[in-house]
Amino acid sequence: MNTTKSRENNILKVALAGSPNCGKTSLFNGLTGSRQHVGNYAGVTVESRNGYYTYNGERVEVRDLPGSYSLSSFSPEEMIAQQELVDARPDVVVVVVDSTALKRSLVLLAQVMQNSRKIVLCLNMSDEAKKSGQRIDLELLAKLLGFPVVETVGHRQQGLDALKEKIAEVAQKDGIKSRLMLGERLESAIEHVVDALSKTSVPEDAREWYAVKILQDDHLFVTRVLERGKPGRDALEVAKKERATIEAFTGEDVALYVTERYYGFVDGLLREVVVQVSHIDTRIQSDRIDAIVVHRVLGIPIFLLVMYAIFWLTFTVGAYPMDWIDQLFGLMADAIVTYWPNDKAMDIQSLLVDGIIGGVGGVLVFLPNIVLLFLGLAILQDSGYMSRAAFLTDRLMHRFGLHGRSFIPLVTGFGCTIPGIMATRTMENERDRLATMLVLPLMSCGARLPIWMLLIPAFFAPPLHAPMLFAIYFIGIFLAFILALILRNTVLKGEEAPFVMELPPYRLPTWRSVVSRMMLSSWLYLKKAGTMILGISVIMWALTTYPKYTASPAQETNAAASVDLASAGSNDNAQSFRQLEHSVAGRIGKAIEPLIAPLGFDWKIGVATIGAFTAKEVFVSQLGVIYALGDPGETGEDTLRESLARDYSPLIGFSLMLFLLIATPCMATIAITRKESGSWKWPALQFFGLTAIAYVLSLLVFQIGSLLGL
Amino acid sequence: MPSYGRCAYMTDEEIPMVQLSESLEDYMETIFELVRDNKLARIKDIAKARDVRSASVIPAMRRLSEMGLITYEKREYIDLTPAGERVARRVYARHRLLTRFFRDILGIPNEFAQKDACALEHSLSDVGMDYIVRFFEFIQSCPEGGDVISRLQSCALVNSDKKQCTGGCTVQRNERQVIAEQMKSLREMKPGQSCNVVRISGTGAIRQRILDMGLMPGINIYVERLSPAGDPMWIKFQGSQLSLRLKEAQMVLVEPEVK
Repeated sequence: MNTTKSRENNILKVALAGSPNCGKTSLFNGLTGSRQHVGNYAGVTVESRNGYYTYNGERVEVRDLPGSYSLSSFSPEEMIAQQELVDARPDVVVVVVDSTALKRSLVLLAQVMQNSRKIVLCLNMSDEAKKSGQRIDLELLAKLLGFPVVETVGHRQQGLDALKEKIAEVAQKDGIKSRLMLGERLESAIEHVVDALSKTSVPEDAREWYAVKILQDDHLFVTRVLERGKPGRDALEVAKKERATIEAFTGEDVALYVTERYYGFVDGLLREVVVQVSHIDTRIQSDRIDAIVVHRVLGIPIFLLVMYAIFWLTFTVGAYPMDWIDQLFGLMADAIVTYWPNDKAMDIQSLLVDGIIGGVGGVLVFLPNIVLLFLGLAILQDSGYMSRAAFLTDRLMHRFGLHGRSFIPLVTGFGCTIPGIMATRTMENERDRLATMLVLPLMSCGARLPIWMLLIPAFFAPPLHAPMLFAIYFIGIFLAFILALILRNTVLKGEEAPFVMELPPYRLPTWRSVVSRMMLSSWLYLKKAGTMILGISVIMWALTTYPKYTASPAQETNAAASVDLASAGSNDNAQSFRQLEHSVAGRIGKAIEPLIAPLGFDWKIGVATIGAFTAKEVFVSQLGVIYALGDPGETGEDTLRESLARDYSPLIGFSLMLFLLIATPCMATIAITRKESGSWKWPALQFFGLTAIAYVLSLLVFQIGSLLGL
Repeated sequence: MPSYGRCAYMTDEEIPMVQLSESLEDYMETIFELVRDNKLARIKDIAKARDVRSASVIPAMRRLSEMGLITYEKREYIDLTPAGERVARRVYARHRLLTRFFRDILGIPNEFAQKDACALEHSLSDVGMDYIVRFFEFIQSCPEGGDVISRLQSCALVNSDKKQCTGGCTVQRNERQVIAEQMKSLREMKPGQSCNVVRISGTGAIRQRILDMGLMPGINIYVERLSPAGDPMWIKFQGSQLSLRLKEAQMVLVEPEVK
């Protein structure tokens, strides 16, 4: 039905199914080029990737299914891959397998054969398999399966034309009857359940899959069948009986039995078509590298070195382009101010300079970090080191309910939370990923360093500087781990994701694949998070600009205001202080003073903290404005420190640092968390949760400290 | 405590408390076997299997139908109700267990083992049955259990004409003991050791993932290394390399390879 419908529109729908590490994504990139759309499946962190290409004038839409080893209902990836095949019913399913691990990868094919009729089998990484001496009779394989088989090398874009041709060919023909063989016992059981399902409203072409699943007592499909009333319950009864029979006969549970039968089919198939088995150990080199890279003693130092390299690349190298971007936007702002027709539409000038240029600059300034980090991560991932890193760090991470793959994102968070949150994409488990994202802002990011640099010397004696800085970082890490543990036992409670993980051989990353990954992440950041960050910037600008402060409220014309400005010329700083005090942000700061007083804060800190929502380092410049010092430069900072030390006690200083470390992640963090988690729920929890924790901790510190007379 | 619930043929569901006569129990067992093998049971088949006339089967079917254990309409196929299936399964399990006890443990020839099981399955009390189950479980799980049985079966003292202890079993014993003691979980394997997978225990996502990755009974595994922190473990098998946490490795039961 679907076929005819989409044929009318001349759009062919193709799904790519395959296990993780089979090179499916580079194949997808090769097929669709830049014509792709990356988003999230509703409400989950699983990425959805759609793209298209045209073949013989026909538009072919390709959907890259999440990588999964089998189609089951355990992990979100498996569930989505399954739903896409069984419910969305693409016209053609391309099953991508790793030619170097045919036995394991073909199990997925066996499963797809139970729910799809138009299939193309794609033997990817065929170059590596050939190098190992493996020879396969492709013709015989296609004949035995009843559908075309294509050899490809995804990251080198080989075999793509043949693949496109076969896809078109299969789409034209009628679907064939499955030639899957699972043995008489299982087949007859499936048949009986299919018969029973034929009395229900389960669509005909999905019945076989439903039958296999309810035989295995799969909760998702059992529920679905139950919803179909009496015939559904009857079908479940039949399935239950068949299950009991199989178990009584084999003495095994059905899950094992069915998996064994899949492997049986694959074994039989391979025995027929493999002309020559791989006999050259192509992993010798890879194994040699592993002997050093995950060595008992050397492993950790090498890992730390790699982390340092990534960190250096992202933040040290990235600092140069960041500076250029900063300067460029500074020049643009200056240019506008200089050439702006005097005292005309000053509001618009301010919006352009402070709101829009500031906002766009605020978005673009992260771009070098993101590009470079993703360059590094793409290399780590494509080369295969990422799984080694997870292997090395899993013990530590697992203790806190996280996963080995959480480590790199968390460390990245010390540089900047935004790329850190984006780096959680390498994690396959939804709950682990969310937990990592939510606690990431606690890793004291680079933007907070200026705050510590200002506050620590202001309140503490020189011998305490280093220990205080260390303490702040340590408190952040400690809280992140504790919070992760709490999250995994409350909101994100659930069965632990298996760590059973493939360790693919090392591969030399290709530039094409690395660059395309890098570009994609950067583009995603600009498009999704960028627009939101820009929006919030403009709002924040409005909050600090309006209502306008005028020395004499009676005079409200622009001319009068400019006269006023001119007369106050020597005292520009005082002017901007009064403006800030007068603005909505200033008023909010004053209004919340009673609320933050128990933490030892006054309205000035309140205003600066609100400003820090745009970006953490803004806290410093806001304080500068408040103390009527203008933007504190090299010399300004010392004066600002003196003012701070005069107004607040070291106890307040510590309470403040604690608050700034934990509370209200910056708006970019909120935007990116929204984007990556696919729902507003998580950024809301992050924002309010962290702020609440910050409040309570600062409150405790200040109150207990005051009692102790500190 | 061992109970029928742990027997391979039983489900965890509660078994309806019904008192069946010996012949009704036999009928339930027959129906169970017929339904299992042929997907349906007819009066004719039941009569044939039990070696009685069709006419005498019918009243029994009525009785069972009244008790809600089977569905029976005149001239129609007979099927077990869910409750009936549990009862039948229980009877069947008792039969299987006793047969195995007689045949595999005591070494009684199959024909007699079957006959005696049929005779005993109705009269043995639940308590008595429970003890046999316990013994069974002991034999299967005790490292020396299998050893005792094979020694019994090859013992010259009771099995040969000479009626004399040759002491031959102690030699074999040492060998077998080595194997029996070596049935371990993958977790206990050290880097550099090889083993064969015997069973994957546990349930749910982790077990399915282990199976999906191709770790199946019969597969030979080589333990490559442990993470510097001691967990997870890195294994090689059939050209693949995999890492798994020790907790997961514990679910993989293996037999170490004897060098």
